[in-house]
Amino acid sequence: MQYDAARLSAFAPSPGTKRASFDLPFFLTVLLLLFLGVVMVLSASFPRAYYDPGRVTGGNAVYYFVRQLIFALAGVAAMLLCAKLPMGFYRRYTLLFLILTLALLALVPLIGVRANGSRRWLGFGGLTLQPSELAKLAVILVFARLICRFRSRMHSFRYGLLPFLGILGVFVGLLVLEPHFSASVILIAVGGAMLFLGEVPLGYFAAAGSAAIGGLFVLMTFFPYASSRITTWRDPFSSSSDEGYQIVQSLYSIGSGGLSGLGLGGSRQKYLFLPEEHNDFIFSVVCEELGFIGAALILLLFAMLILRGYWIALHCRERFSCLVCAGITTLLAIQVFLNVAVVTNLIPCTGISLPFFSYGGTALLIQLAEMGIILSASRDILSE
Amino acid sequence: MSVDQKGASAPTRRMLRRIVVLMALFGIGATALLLARLFRLQILDHAFYEDLAVAQQLREAPTTASRGTIYDTKGRPLALSASVDTVYLSPAEISRYGEDRELIADGLAEILGLDREEIYEKSGRTGSWYVTVARKIEREQADAVRAFKEEHGLRGVRLETDTKRYYPNSSLACHLIGFVGMDNDGLEGLEARYDEALAGTAGKTLRMTNAFGTELLFEQFEQFQPGEDGCDIVTTIDTTVQYYVEKHLRQAAEDYDALNGAGAIAMDVNTGAILAMASIEGYDLNDFLAVSPKAQAAVDAAASPEEARELLAAAQARQWRNKALSDTYEPGSTFKIITLSMALEEGAVHLSDGFYCGGNVSVPGRTSPIRCWKDGGHGSQTLTQAVQHSCNVAFVNIGLRLGAETFYRYCDAFGFLELTEDRDESLTARTGIDLYGESGSIWWSQNVFTSPKNLSQLAAASFGQTFTITPLQLITAVSACVNGGRLMQPFVVRQICAPDGTVLSEREPKLVRQVIREETSAAVRQILEQVVGDEKDGTGKNAAVAGYRIGGKTGTSEKVSLEAQTGEKQYIVSFVGFAPADDPKIAILAFLDTPSTKSGVYISGGQMAAPVVGAMMADILPYLGVEPDPGEDSGQDAAVPKLVGLSAAEAESALREEGLSFRSLGGGDTVTGQLPSQGSRIAPGSQVLLYFDAQPSEEPETVPTITGMTYRQARDTLAALGLFIRTRTGVENALDQRVSTQSLAAGTAVGHGSIVEVTLVSVDDTMLGRY
Repeated sequence: MQYDAARLSAFAPSPGTKRASFDLPFFLTVLLLLFLGVVMVLSASFPRAYYDPGRVTGGNAVYYFVRQLIFALAGVAAMLLCAKLPMGFYRRYTLLFLILTLALLALVPLIGVRANGSRRWLGFGGLTLQPSELAKLAVILVFARLICRFRSRMHSFRYGLLPFLGILGVFVGLLVLEPHFSASVILIAVGGAMLFLGEVPLGYFAAAGSAAIGGLFVLMTFFPYASSRITTWRDPFSSSSDEGYQIVQSLYSIGSGGLSGLGLGGSRQKYLFLPEEHNDFIFSVVCEELGFIGAALILLLFAMLILRGYWIALHCRERFSCLVCAGITTLLAIQVFLNVAVVTNLIPCTGISLPFFSYGGTALLIQLAEMGIILSASRDILSE
Repeated sequence: MSVDQKGASAPTRRMLRRIVVLMALFGIGATALLLARLFRLQILDHAFYEDLAVAQQLREAPTTASRGTIYDTKGRPLALSASVDTVYLSPAEISRYGEDRELIADGLAEILGLDREEIYEKSGRTGSWYVTVARKIEREQADAVRAFKEEHGLRGVRLETDTKRYYPNSSLACHLIGFVGMDNDGLEGLEARYDEALAGTAGKTLRMTNAFGTELLFEQFEQFQPGEDGCDIVTTIDTTVQYYVEKHLRQAAEDYDALNGAGAIAMDVNTGAILAMASIEGYDLNDFLAVSPKAQAAVDAAASPEEARELLAAAQARQWRNKALSDTYEPGSTFKIITLSMALEEGAVHLSDGFYCGGNVSVPGRTSPIRCWKDGGHGSQTLTQAVQHSCNVAFVNIGLRLGAETFYRYCDAFGFLELTEDRDESLTARTGIDLYGESGSIWWSQNVFTSPKNLSQLAAASFGQTFTITPLQLITAVSACVNGGRLMQPFVVRQICAPDGTVLSEREPKLVRQVIREETSAAVRQILEQVVGDEKDGTGKNAAVAGYRIGGKTGTSEKVSLEAQTGEKQYIVSFVGFAPADDPKIAILAFLDTPSTKSGVYISGGQMAAPVVGAMMADILPYLGVEPDPGEDSGQDAAVPKLVGLSAAEAESALREEGLSFRSLGGGDTVTGQLPSQGSRIAPGSQVLLYFDAQPSEEPETVPTITGMTYRQARDTLAALGLFIRTRTGVENALDQRVSTQSLAAGTAVGHGSIVEVTLVSVDDTMLGRY
């Protein structure tokens, strides 16, 4: 009976069980980061848009900004819509979403848009979509759903690990076809985190960790490509004109920002020295223009958002909501960490975008929708 | 049920604990790690990265300073700069924009006439933003490159403004002015000596650029450090004087076939200012690498490329050498002016003294006696006559009267040498003129020269042998001898002006020292005027100019060292003159190095160099505003009046007024044609041809040989052919003068009415000698 009532409330909430409003601090933090992100896209992208070396923008200096702004507005609408939908909706359509995502992902190697030797995008008219972004959410939802279902058997290998690894294996397999290394890493990390939360015994993680280290060693020893990446990471200046160019330029940007930066709009490195300056390396421009103070404040904003996301997860009454919130928050945290770690050369270079900042319309849209799901969960906390 | 349901679907404690672990890990740990990393990069290593970043962001563009102009003393430009274009490639941009290297190489090679492969190779140096293709190209080429660039929208082909040096007078005063290299740095002459003042300082623009090297959108990134344009310099050179000096020097070098060139200096006697300085052969400053056709032919005929290169380099070095400044020579008899001056000053001789020349004189320390140039000697002579005769015997005696110590002290005072404490040291000196390349003189050490047992050095030095000096030193000292005794330091630049015209520094004539008294100087002037002015005894009379009082001295020196090598006698003939003799304004020294015996003219300063200086004076003195003596107008050239349209009677009276006669041709009343044309200057007494109802023949006439003829004979020989004559100096009635050179060579076909310029020299046997 209760279940039915809950189901009903998902689509036609009765006047007596009106849901509370969502978590305002989380929402405002997202908006603030989004605002800063869009402003930074304007600042970082206009030289490239103006000079147009890739013959994309036709010299329109606000080309990237306008697109990002449109997607940001659409994204906020998507976030509010997702916040409006009850958690039951997501639980209900998880399987459908999974199938849809897998189908799209399977299409990518076949009809995807090719760029830089990989197929990662699907084109719809003028829009492009990275199904790998959907895959991240799909893994979170599916894992949460399965963890809920196998709740008492999660310690067993058969239920607690095998189905999950199977699903993850299919996803990673499809991503490797593109190939999309960084998305695979994120997917594995998020999947691992979900399993960790799903009470999988820690011994498995120890084993997986050892296997990962061993695998990495093999990779470095037998694959020159991987090992050259490590060399570039250890000493980017040794190859500052080819492999190390991106990271060296990024370090120039960050380092020359100093304490207070060159001022908003004042980056010099964005004048085509820094590649991907409005994309994966937008945080370098942030550091250069806003300095250590500005960059630290933005990192702290992210930290606030992450902590608040986990806080919401901790207060969810539903296990599914809790796992989804924690999963999405972890996904966000991993992306932020990996992006900033890459641009500061803390880890070897790989292409990971910074949520809310990096240019990329559909990815932004999906990220904001994910925030909407957390907001949706937050409403249940306060509704009692 | 509902509670159970609720409890069963709620997160477990362990789940919540693990969320807290992730919270700590990602919310706090990761953030702290990233903040630490940022702190390291942005705060601790800030300067390191900033330096590297700025180094790649800033592009330093030098802005060339405009090089100053060199003016002559009247403000006429001798050297000036104009803007030209330099073409360069930006291979980095060619690569970025994917521009067609083949197209660029083909297009530029065709426009600029350069090697296509080389341009193609340059366009492939993708790491570079600046590779020069062609520097300082002509305007038409630059326009063609611009059009080519526009047409194909090439961003990697660039032009920039550069400056090019132009010398409006081509080769005039080339050795004084000098030239600049490709980078506009002065390499020779004043361009080198005053490079610092002329060059100015190049400015630079520090500009933030994008990675493609193009400027940023905002100007606040641009930092402009202005350069300073170079200063203008005003020289003492007088273009007109320089022109006359070069004209006559070149003519003489040609007439007498001077194998080692020639040189001349014109100096303001009273200030030491250089009015002109010339060296043969010269070169075109605008194309200073090109050598004379003769030298080029030798280069082309070379057996190997190495030999050709060497020959070319040698020919270039030869043409760039300023002989008047860099050559040292034994001055010979011109130095007698100095010996005379010191002897008069010291009272060692007096105007009333008599000298006897028996043809030679014995000197202690010499096995053979010193011979006078004149066999049999000059006999008894006064001091003035001894100078007029350029008598070596007399001057050996004068030198011996002076003594070696005194002689050297005066040589020091006249700037020929600098006495030192070390009496065994060879002595040398320079004038210190503001030009590079001045050679130092070479003299015996004091101990050698003043040895009481060996007077041969002193004896020979008395008439200008056994030491070498530069022509510049000689004319500087001679100027002191005749200007009242003041030794002036020679100089070329009198003003340095800022680009806006403000005078930054003004050179005052610098008195080095008073060497002799005014009265002594007056006596020297008087004696030297007799060398030129005395038609009978003056060995310098071939330098006389009608209507002007000129003083001077001849010189003929044997190149002893060369004779020892080749066994052939080689000479440097010279003449140093000054005018007006009573109040000198200008001194001119001209020398011909190794004139050929084939010219038919007796090799001596009196026969060869004196007429050159006379011709120079004849042109320069009127230009300087020196009025000719009205009492002495007999020798002046006559100007042919306008005769066409006049009647026979009118023409006759017009001609008589000018001292000209005429010959009529054709029958009629009105003059319809005349030879030579109106305004021509010809010798007085010449026969002008008047045509009545007829025109002069268009047929060319062959110039006859007139060398060796007297002036009158030559005039009449030419008149019979419808040709005319003129001397360079206006002097045409001196005793026993004969034509020694003619400006139009015998056998040349010329039009009727052409005028032959001739040099007249005395060919009296008594005048033929090395003096």
